[in-house]
Amino acid sequence: MIEVVLNDRLGKKVKVKCNEDDTIGDLKKLVAAQTGTRPDKIRIQKWYNTYKDHITLKDYEIHDGMGLELYYN
Amino acid sequence: MANRTDPAAKSIRGTNPQNLVEKILRSKIYQHTYWKEQCFGLTAETLVDKAMELDHLGGTHGGNRKPTPFMCLVMKMLQIQPDKDIVVEFIKNEDYKYVRALGAFYLRLTGTDIDVYRYLEPLYNDYRKLRRKLADGKYTLTHVDEVIDELLTQDYSCDIALPRVKKRWTLENIGSLEPRKSALEDDFEEEEEKDEEDQLVAELEDEGHEKDYYRGRSPARERDRDRKRDSHRYRDRDYERDYDRDRGRGRDRDRDRDRDRDRERDRDRDRHRLREDKEYGRDREWEGRERDRRDRDRGRRRSPSRSRSRSRDRKDRDEERRKRHARSSASPRRRGDRPEDASTRDEPKKKKEKKEKKDDGTDHPDPEIAAANKLRASLGMKPLK
Repeated sequence: MIEVVLNDRLGKKVKVKCNEDDTIGDLKKLVAAQTGTRPDKIRIQKWYNTYKDHITLKDYEIHDGMGLELYYN
Repeated sequence: MANRTDPAAKSIRGTNPQNLVEKILRSKIYQHTYWKEQCFGLTAETLVDKAMELDHLGGTHGGNRKPTPFMCLVMKMLQIQPDKDIVVEFIKNEDYKYVRALGAFYLRLTGTDIDVYRYLEPLYNDYRKLRRKLADGKYTLTHVDEVIDELLTQDYSCDIALPRVKKRWTLENIGSLEPRKSALEDDFEEEEEKDEEDQLVAELEDEGHEKDYYRGRSPARERDRDRKRDSHRYRDRDYERDYDRDRGRGRDRDRDRDRDRDRERDRDRDRHRLREDKEYGRDREWEGRERDRRDRDRGRRRSPSRSRSRSRDRKDRDEERRKRHARSSASPRRRGDRPEDASTRDEPKKKKEKKEKKDDGTDHPDPEIAAANKLRASLGMKPLK
């Protein structure tokens, strides 16, 4: 179980607990549940690399405590 | 400026009509080439020509969320604000289904509740196929009536949050709308009669020595019971009591038919609600059902031929029938019986809950993790490791 921090630099900073084998799509659902936006409106990036929905966190090498950027579509 | 709303346009729901589309999507539309090339200087007439060229519906798609031409035209309509007659013409035209869909969408965004129901419900009878573009860029098949159903029951469609409209039965209650007349009304009547006969036959097999009158009443009551439970709109208790006091099967059947129709339409929504209700409203439902039973008993006692046999056979048959058709029984329940049935019903409930808990990890000692697991279960994900 890892905890990922998502920050949108406009005031929303959320910490989400998830498994390593969850996909980015699952992570978006969890973030949506916490922030209140819809999951399909959320975009997760790391410096111009938009993360795709069907790839797992493990494959993106997202570790515990790592920060991701939260943007909106 | 090309993106300004027509200054003569009225404000919709208290705001600039273009604000019905949220900011990010709006900017995406303004930057899209379709908007810039084709939608410049469109009027209501030329808009019709563009609408006729549409060949798919959809919201945004792709990695950078490009809007579809459908979206751009919706935006254009919001910008120029055509008159209601023009929009109704769009909806009424039979030849071009995408023009119809466009008109329906615009009306759903800007029209009053009554208009929405009045003009969109006839479109339920349109079964033509439509092409819809999904978020990943692929096309999928849908139908006009499916799209209308989505517009009327969901609050999000084609990446636009639809404004809230009052529920249909609220409008019926205050008298602004007639109860819905479905095109399948005649088919329903036939089906009902067929159902009745089937149930009568089943009853005959179950209870050999019961009197005719009792037999005659029970199928209707059972049907009522089933449908009442399914429709889940009966929070209002007076409504229930009135319904029970209806004398004569004619009126019962009319009401059943109405409920059926609405039930069919709201089937999906109610199914979602059913699922929620199972978790949260079980107690309330149980109470309501008890009241049902009491009322129905009152009706039952009026019948002179009510069998007072308390034989084991009759109870078993009742239970069997109950298990087959419904969750609770209409026959008069004794005090002694109820804990029995309640416990048998509780057991499967408890077993199911326990099983869920074990799988989902919602009984984790750490409350934070338990809460997280509960959320994950509600989203359909496995628990945390």
